[in-house]
Amino acid sequence: MTGATTGVTAGGGRTRRALLRTLFGLGALGGTAAALAPLVRADRAARTRTVDPPAPGARPYREAVEETYRGRHISIRPSAGVATTGPAAYRPGVHPGVPADDVLVDGRPLKLMRRADGGWMSVVNHFESFPTPLAAARAAVDDLHGARLSLDGPMLHHA
Amino acid sequence: MYTRKNQRDLTGAEKKSFVNAVLELKRRGHYDEFVRTHVEFYTPDGESGLRSGHMAPTFFPWHRRFLLEFEGALRSVDPGVSLPYWDWTKDNTPAAALWGDDFLGGTGRSRDQQVMTGPFAYRSGNWTVRDNVTDDPFLTRDLGRPGRDPIVLPTVRELESAMKRPVYDVAPWDSTPTKGFRNGLEGWVKPGVDQPWRNHNRVHRWVGGDMLGAASPNDPVFWLHHAFVDLLWDRWQARHPKAGYLPAKKLPAGDPQSGRVISLHEPMPPWNVTPSAMLGHAKTYRYA
Repeated sequence: MTGATTGVTAGGGRTRRALLRTLFGLGALGGTAAALAPLVRADRAARTRTVDPPAPGARPYREAVEETYRGRHISIRPSAGVATTGPAAYRPGVHPGVPADDVLVDGRPLKLMRRADGGWMSVVNHFESFPTPLAAARAAVDDLHGARLSLDGPMLHHA
Repeated sequence: MYTRKNQRDLTGAEKKSFVNAVLELKRRGHYDEFVRTHVEFYTPDGESGLRSGHMAPTFFPWHRRFLLEFEGALRSVDPGVSLPYWDWTKDNTPAAALWGDDFLGGTGRSRDQQVMTGPFAYRSGNWTVRDNVTDDPFLTRDLGRPGRDPIVLPTVRELESAMKRPVYDVAPWDSTPTKGFRNGLEGWVKPGVDQPWRNHNRVHRWVGGDMLGAASPNDPVFWLHHAFVDLLWDRWQARHPKAGYLPAKKLPAGDPQSGRVISLHEPMPPWNVTPSAMLGHAKTYRYA
């Protein structure tokens, strides 16, 4: 199809995207930020299928983790206060999700995101989710095969 | 109106033209814009915000439009080029011609998954990965994940389990439905099952490396994979002619997915194009 700009150029494309984003309403679920506290909100559970509980022994997100897994250091430090996902935290061009600084692999941020069933996904694997942030981080270590996470990929901020 | 061919039917000259057009887009800096767009429009369904490219009914029309844009860019370099498609139910091993040195190159080496062969190997000097999950400048793959827990590409039977579904999509229009063609093909299943990915998602997992992550278009096989996904949408429509894109109407304000899912006549970002405008493509391209 012809006509629409690709957004390739910096000026018009970005402005249009920002406008479209505003129009499309980030606010439908303004309360989503609180969804990170319990794994399943009661009202969502009523509307959707039940969510698998975390695996036995899995730590909830609120607890800090420091571990060495397959020679790589995983650090999980939950954000103080209310999690900053949702409309208030959405910046144009930034990949949506959990604050990246919360989970580090060898000191570098691993961006995590939530799936509707309560699962966790990372930027390393966009096609599978895991029951806890730690499980997602370990899976990321498995799939990184020793590579270092980027400090300035498009998932983290816009150049 | 032009033709998209099965990659196995491309002549040597056609492969070369395709590769050269992709390399030229990369050289111009244009290729990486597409990578960034794909990253930007992946909103997972556990987050608030509008879902366009994934975990949503717009999975098919959004990618159709995205591919058209990329193909338009290729054709601005060489008007004779079009996107080939990769039928992964048939060309389903790393030995397929797709992965030849004259086409996409092969799997990554075991040490760091780095692709060492073909025109998209970092060491060729023409393919540096910049917008990526890792800070490796080289393209990575791990075809079939041969080390631990190997994977096979979707079988005809796995594909059929999606193609036979009579309804396009169902509430809650995300990654959770076990009914509906869209999620059957996109391939989200409950975690905890063995190899929790089907069809489209399974292919991304099978290729591995960069194709597994947020910046999957860094691997040019992305386009051939999604061209086949696009063809599958055509086939599904032909098989279920009375079924249409859903949701047909804008979701009411009280719906938990309101503002997060795009209905038939609502525009898809970043373009001002509706799913209804993307249902067909007969005036633009055909599949051979």
